[in-house]
Amino acid sequence: MTNAFLYALAGGGLFTLGLHALVVHAHLLRKILAVNIMGSGVFLVLVALARRSGETASDPVPHAMVITGIVVTVSATALALALMLKLAGKSGHTVLPDKHSD
Amino acid sequence: MPTSLMAIDWGVIVILLPLSGGIVCVLWPAMSKPAGLITVIGVALAVAGLGWRIMENGAYRHAVGGWGAPLGIDLFADGLSLVMLVMTALVGLGISFYAKRYFSPRDAIRFWPIWLFLLAALNALFLSADIFNLYVTLEIIGLAAVALTALTGRIDALGGAMRYLLATLLGSLAYLLGVALLYHDAGSVDIATLAQRIEPNATVWAALGLMSTGLALKTALFPLSFWLPSAHASAPVPVSALLSALVVKTSFYILLRLWLEIFGAFAEGFSMLLGLLGAAAILWGSLQALRQTRIKLLVAYSTVAQIGYLFLIYPLASANNAMTAGIAAYLAFSHALAKSAMFLAAGNLMRFGGHDRIADLDRAVQRLPLTVAAFALAGVSIMGLPPSSGFVGKWLLLDAAISQGRWDLAAVMIIGGLLAAGYVFKVLGYAFTQAEAPHDAQAVPAGMQWAALLLAIGAILLGFMAPQIFALIHPDLTASADGAGTVWTA
Amino acid sequence: MLEWIFDTVLGLSLLWLAWRALNSPDLFKAIVLFISFGLLMALIWVRLNAPDVALAEAAIGAGLTGALLLAALARLRIMTDRNVSGASTHLAHPASPAQPPAGSRFSCGMLILLLPASAAGISYAVWTLPSDSSGLSLDVAENLGSSGVSNPVTAVLLNFRGYDTMLEMIVLLLAVLGIWSLGGLSPRPERPAAAVLETLSRFLTPVFILAAGYLLWVGADAPGGAFQAGSVLGAAGVLLLLSGWHPRARFMQWPLRLALTAGAGAFILLGLLTLLFEKQLLAYPVAQAGRMILLLESLATVSIAVTLAVLFLEVSSDHKEKVKKGEKE
Repeated sequence: MTNAFLYALAGGGLFTLGLHALVVHAHLLRKILAVNIMGSGVFLVLVALARRSGETASDPVPHAMVITGIVVTVSATALALALMLKLAGKSGHTVLPDKHSD
Repeated sequence: MPTSLMAIDWGVIVILLPLSGGIVCVLWPAMSKPAGLITVIGVALAVAGLGWRIMENGAYRHAVGGWGAPLGIDLFADGLSLVMLVMTALVGLGISFYAKRYFSPRDAIRFWPIWLFLLAALNALFLSADIFNLYVTLEIIGLAAVALTALTGRIDALGGAMRYLLATLLGSLAYLLGVALLYHDAGSVDIATLAQRIEPNATVWAALGLMSTGLALKTALFPLSFWLPSAHASAPVPVSALLSALVVKTSFYILLRLWLEIFGAFAEGFSMLLGLLGAAAILWGSLQALRQTRIKLLVAYSTVAQIGYLFLIYPLASANNAMTAGIAAYLAFSHALAKSAMFLAAGNLMRFGGHDRIADLDRAVQRLPLTVAAFALAGVSIMGLPPSSGFVGKWLLLDAAISQGRWDLAAVMIIGGLLAAGYVFKVLGYAFTQAEAPHDAQAVPAGMQWAALLLAIGAILLGFMAPQIFALIHPDLTASADGAGTVWTA
Repeated sequence: MLEWIFDTVLGLSLLWLAWRALNSPDLFKAIVLFISFGLLMALIWVRLNAPDVALAEAAIGAGLTGALLLAALARLRIMTDRNVSGASTHLAHPASPAQPPAGSRFSCGMLILLLPASAAGISYAVWTLPSDSSGLSLDVAENLGSSGVSNPVTAVLLNFRGYDTMLEMIVLLLAVLGIWSLGGLSPRPERPAAAVLETLSRFLTPVFILAAGYLLWVGADAPGGAFQAGSVLGAAGVLLLLSGWHPRARFMQWPLRLALTAGAGAFILLGLLTLLFEKQLLAYPVAQAGRMILLLESLATVSIAVTLAVLFLEVSSDHKEKVKKGEKE
């Protein structure tokens, strides 16, 4: 089922798009969005290829892995957002503060 | 040891005990500190039980759920895992006793449950034989470490934690993509099964690249170390010790394990790259440490440098897997003890003077002798002076480099040692001098001073125990305590 | 042929949505685009024959993550409005999306080289994967009968790889603990909810609860399960919070913490019991497996729901130091 490969390639594309955004954008909210999109890309690679021989039912193990991954991602996103809000509240900026002067 | 005690599945206890302890802390916050200390002591005992069991019965394997790999998840502990578990238990014990006195009651309630879950995840990681399970444990460790880093709520800690979180998430996702590729190539996420099935092809190379990059980012291998100094320096002192001593070793361990089991057979060129970056890390980290004016940043950059030593193992790896594992484990253990002692001692100095400027360490040697001794002993191990464990580990590396004709790596190691001496003596020197404006001193609890000192003494004692540690890794290995050239025979 | 076109359109739309979401100058638009991205992902999961994942993605990935992002953006805007000093005028309205910090021209250059190379490498690696491979599906099918459920994804999540799910419960708990350990965020005046929202939530909450119960029960044999049920229930909690419902202070410490730890605690307790009686961690006796899985899933549903709602509560509203709002489901 080569259509699966289409989606897997799209997953790779999402991973790269997200990586680009993560590095290039300074605003923390955008970085968090980027991480989420990267995650979705990886999940797409996992699930898209889970049914390649078109006859049999899908392999459930990647499905379970992706569900786990979605939950992990939302937990990390929540923590990241809370950190960002605290940082914004204290520093007045939503970008990473400069590293120590050295 | 009575057989009934040995029959207990200590490996599972080592994971379930801190998980239970963490839940207890969440349900009864007032009991956090006693629950935490009891749990950490219990974990140390359980690790001892597991160690006995492994020494008697050989490698430990437990099929979770009764299914067995590749359908289920296996817990697996050989000598390498055991040494990492012992490292975690001992260093965790020392840091816990330090933390007992360090945190205010309000912070303690926040610290202990997260630390216990971190401990559980550390143990689960060292016991895991499944690359997706490793991803989940990495995430627990990452979130817990970030939460602990931001505990003080100060702006530098928040910034350091945020940077750390983004870096660790990026690393995990790269690693997970590698896992996805390996699974779809070989049909399993069990390490033993993968070791049998994996053939080098484009997919496997891509997976190797992704996983290595992700794990190198999490281990802060130069040049992916940008996040470490600010995170480790701005965290509360016990957390800094945890991060530098234990957390960075986890991704290093995974990379090593993947290398030994799956990738090592065909990835020679890649090991040269890792060695090159390790050498760069030693030089860059040590030079930066020398430049610092604030003590925790100095110690954090020292971590970056010492991680470089760990990665020198790859190009110098002999065909003997057991030896590679042995040196890696030994170096990691040695650094964990020394670096945690160094951070705790630095914390004491900061609590004492109320500031973190190295130049103003006002005659600390007279007023905090235990702490300065701790810093000095830890420094001896970091520098690689005999008879410390740092010396034994670095001598083994140096010996390998010379015997393989890698004079470039040998030179880097020697320069690294000299630079380390530079920044250690910089701190010690100021500890002997009087500051320009004398400060009022604040008392530092004896428990905190002794925790630092005992960990530092541990780093030295480990130097005498090299044969025992190597025997744990593999019964056929021999290593002489003074590091003479016979170590490469097995 | 038609399938090909359909899949290509879906795939390209996905990439286009992602690009727009990441590069949209207005943050609100970016988040809304991200939510649409999540919903399109859910559609693609259905297309890829992964209904369990689709449910989870729609509820958690698009729904709850979107809610968290919007809540955070709202708080950023409030902070901007309050800070007249001018320093934070770009909190919620960044001047330009791409602002590489000075001195990282090198890393920008590296990126321009690295990104296409890695994209090409990953694409090639994916392309060269064998086109027929069954992974572990055969092993799963073989053992499904003795797992206690007939939905293979539930069997994997709660039985074959239940250990991962146990650890996952800890991840959720850690997110809450981490946010709590950051302390209180600055107070914000409460606003009463609009009447429409209030009425809607009053109608919808029972429906949500029913749907969650159904998803939980049917998860043993059809797509569904603890995560899907828990996220729908959590969404009900979010809706209630949005409509101005204040959890009573009585529920602050004990009941809330119990609800949060119920899922992980159940796993750990069961793990200890199975270790004692079956000598293997999380090895359910075959006759009891179905019941044990249902028990674990029920408690996990409660924990997941409460955790997600608390995460939303923390990101969206404020509490003073030392007071934690409780939440009851």
